Amino acid sequence: MVTLVVPPEVEAVFREIRTCEFTTLAKDTTPITWPTVALYRPAQARFVITTSIGLPHKAYNLRRTPHVAMLYSDPTGSGLAMPPAVLVQGDAVCPDQVVTRSDELDALGRLLMVRQPVAARYAANPLTRWLSDWYLMRLLIYVTPRRIRWWPHGDFSQPAAELEVDHVG
Amino acid sequence: MWADIVKRLPRFASAVLTGLDRSGDPVSLRCQPTLDHQAQVLRVVVPDGLEMVPGPAGLLCHQHDDQLWELKSFLLRGSLERASQEWVFRPRQFVSGMDTTPLSNLRLLRAGRRTAKRYLAARGLPRPTIPWDHYAQLKDQASGRT
Repeated sequence: MVTLVVPPEVEAVFREIRTCEFTTLAKDTTPITWPTVALYRPAQARFVITTSIGLPHKAYNLRRTPHVAMLYSDPTGSGLAMPPAVLVQGDAVCPDQVVTRSDELDALGRLLMVRQPVAARYAANPLTRWLSDWYLMRLLIYVTPRRIRWWPHGDFSQPAAELEVDHVG
Repeated sequence: MWADIVKRLPRFASAVLTGLDRSGDPVSLRCQPTLDHQAQVLRVVVPDGLEMVPGPAGLLCHQHDDQLWELKSFLLRGSLERASQEWVFRPRQFVSGMDTTPLSNLRLLRAGRRTAKRYLAARGLPRPTIPWDHYAQLKDQASGRT
């Protein structure tokens, strides 16, 4: 396993940007992109994403075609001023195991509770728990990057800097 | 569909266009699409360095506030064509996304519940129990109370 080493400005994007735009490919290969919270795990050279079994389409898509992309291009709420836009292309896996508690879910949960405090209302009482328990029945998605490109200040008209990720060795 | 696009697109400062590159990998960029009412397409600037190719494509508009709330989004499924010096996104399907209004939330909660039930039934799995106390501890940790 290699460790992912990226420039500090790119690492800041991975750690601070609230949502990336995560793309999977539909059956007809149309790219399907939705905003998604991603956990950056440089020591494992991958990202962790999760989806509920109540919203399983991205899992179905990537199990069929593992090619995915993550674009970090919206700095709202991140505290970063004019960060680079970062595009990660890679391969994803999603084990068919429904998870309600794990170290990775805990890390994502903490991240979300800090970043999206309103979400705590769904655990506030028995009715909201009954309505929303399915949302916490999760599938874990692991994205291994193959290619990372970034555009300083999010300016796509300029040439991108690039990092090929070598997972051999 | 075009009426929905005309109504909603201007509410977003920019959009994320995703197509495929020569290897078949998805590739995305943030752009400012312009509406071509006559042709009912969106015109976009795609830098050559992205290696995007004509074919299936999607266009996402989304926004949230500093607290990751007030979520708004929609997605267009369609195709990307090269037209001389510019690119054209031809929408085929409008897909509603997140909208954190009470009615929209209720709709999402009910639909998610039904889909989760089907997911478990298809695999013969029992309904998992949610460790609510554990989540309450995580919330306390996140808010610095423990």
